[in-house]
Amino acid sequence: MASITLEHIWKRYPNGYEAVKDFNLDIEDKEFIIFVGPSGCGKSTTLRMVAGLEDISEGTLKIDGRVVNDEEPKDRDIAMVFQNYALYPHMKVYDNMAFGLRLRKVDEAKIKEAVNEVAEVLQLGKMLKRKPAELSGGQRQRVAMGRAMVRNPKVFLMDEPLSNLDAKLRVEMRAEIARLHERIGATIIYVTHDQTEAMTLGTRIVVMKDGIVQQVDTPQHLYNYPDNLFVASFIGSPQMNFFDAVVEKEDGRVRLNVSGDRFLLPERKGAELIEKNYVGKEVTVGIRPEDIYESEEGDGRDEYAFSSRINVYELLGAEVLLHFDYAGKSMTARVEPTTAARMGSTVRFAMDPEKIHVFDRESEAAVVH
Amino acid sequence: MKSATERARTFQWITIPILALFFCFNTFPLLRGLFYSFTNFKGYGAYESVGLRNYIDLFTDARVGNSYLFTFKLAFVATIVINVISLILAMGLNSKIKFKNTLRGLYFMPNILGALVVGYIFNYFFTYIVPALFHSESILASSKWAWIAIVIVCAWQSIAMNTIIYISGLQTVPEDVYEAGALDGAYGWKKFRYLTFPLIMPFFTINMVLSLKNNLMVFDQIMALTKGGPAQSTESISYLIYNNGMSGGQFGFQSANAVLFFIVIVTISVLQMKFLNNKEEQL
Repeated sequence: MASITLEHIWKRYPNGYEAVKDFNLDIEDKEFIIFVGPSGCGKSTTLRMVAGLEDISEGTLKIDGRVVNDEEPKDRDIAMVFQNYALYPHMKVYDNMAFGLRLRKVDEAKIKEAVNEVAEVLQLGKMLKRKPAELSGGQRQRVAMGRAMVRNPKVFLMDEPLSNLDAKLRVEMRAEIARLHERIGATIIYVTHDQTEAMTLGTRIVVMKDGIVQQVDTPQHLYNYPDNLFVASFIGSPQMNFFDAVVEKEDGRVRLNVSGDRFLLPERKGAELIEKNYVGKEVTVGIRPEDIYESEEGDGRDEYAFSSRINVYELLGAEVLLHFDYAGKSMTARVEPTTAARMGSTVRFAMDPEKIHVFDRESEAAVVH
Repeated sequence: MKSATERARTFQWITIPILALFFCFNTFPLLRGLFYSFTNFKGYGAYESVGLRNYIDLFTDARVGNSYLFTFKLAFVATIVINVISLILAMGLNSKIKFKNTLRGLYFMPNILGALVVGYIFNYFFTYIVPALFHSESILASSKWAWIAIVIVCAWQSIAMNTIIYISGLQTVPEDVYEAGALDGAYGWKKFRYLTFPLIMPFFTINMVLSLKNNLMVFDQIMALTKGGPAQSTESISYLIYNNGMSGGQFGFQSANAVLFFIVIVTISVLQMKFLNNKEEQL
């Protein structure tokens, strides 16, 4: 298995378009790295540069310390799982998996052993004599995984491998991939735009936008401490609520003034805002839907409470999403299904002050978490 | 609202004019030809039935035998030349090159010219230009090599269509299959042998069948280049049927030849389809 280093990687197309800008990342052995971001953010392009399917315009790519910029894909000792599986349609499942080994002139008996072993792990044993057209989407996906595994490569690259599966199968395969990573201990780079996949699979997540890396972090840290507005809004579903506020200082305590409602900030956050010179400035405040509670007067949360009329009530079974307008923004609260709130009713909410995020209005960078 | 059966009846009426024309200009002449093949009709005057004698004579007639040998030799060689060159051309024209569409248009040009026109141009080329350049005799005057000239002209014209069919075949192969191949180590010849060729097999089949059939029926090129000469060395079956049937007083005999040739072509095409279909991958 292997470590991968991307140093100042750029991708420029002949028409001048820059798909990836100054990408830097150190991937350690056995890491499960996720590239996530909206379409066109450069995540697939970066993956394809690692694979050798796209030229690197500038920068250095190393696998296990060896510069591989100019090496052919086959010499990089990597395997890739494609979004559309890219199985060889004219070959049986067995031959699909054996093809790479045959071209490497591996002994046929060893190939058979390797293919059978992987087929057993992926429960493909009965399908080895079938052609891809005779398989279901999930089975093809497994064959694509098997074709990658059989070569026992240093690095696995996966380009949205689950996006063509239905929701149920996607959950199953997600678990399967997690188990595989556990079992074979490979270094994996996985591209997705699905943040659930990103959060559940990754040891670290790289969030990208417009070809620029926004943040590289563990799923938990990314969720709790987003570096900027984009990351905060991209990670989490339903997404984080945002509204505008003015930072005010009174009797040594810092409050956020949101069109008249004044929320008291915990001391640590207040002190940081003072220190960073934000008193009197307009900021963007973020709070996740699960950090907004239903509240009653006198429950000790008066300093963080506000009221609003419910626009939409969504029962999701284990939870309820309440959509409402506040401070000119539409917001969402995730509450218990026992809630009495319904469409049209006015509800008193309170925010968890510890979970309030403050972002700079101009740079959109996080100021305090 | 018209009922479904009424609508179906309308559609049936639409087919009748075409059916009538097809019968008049295709089926009826075919049946007439079949009829004459059992007679000693010279193309004029009186005739009488001769039963199967024309058919029996076909197998002993040296000129007919030679025309079959020549036609098959020409057709096999031309089919191979055409398919090899058009496959190579198609791969070039399907890759990321500059002026791709212009070049595709240019390479298609021969197809829109009439075979006779092309034949006469090449006749001039072989008779005057090539000998002048190489100080040699015209290839068309050599009973040993004249057939090569016909292969060249057939190929020059047929390559256009076959190339287009191969290009459309190559476009059906998804790019990510090649990318997966690149990671597996399939480059150059291996990529062609294990990925490209098997995946365009259906297009290869249709091209082989069409080429062989067209080349077996070679006529215009011979008309324009050699008129079957020198010394009947380039007399194709079609040309012999036309020449001796229309102006050689052998209308009945050559009708029998035409019927036999029809059966031969149908048989070859069916066999070829069957054989190549078996090789085709079920995609």
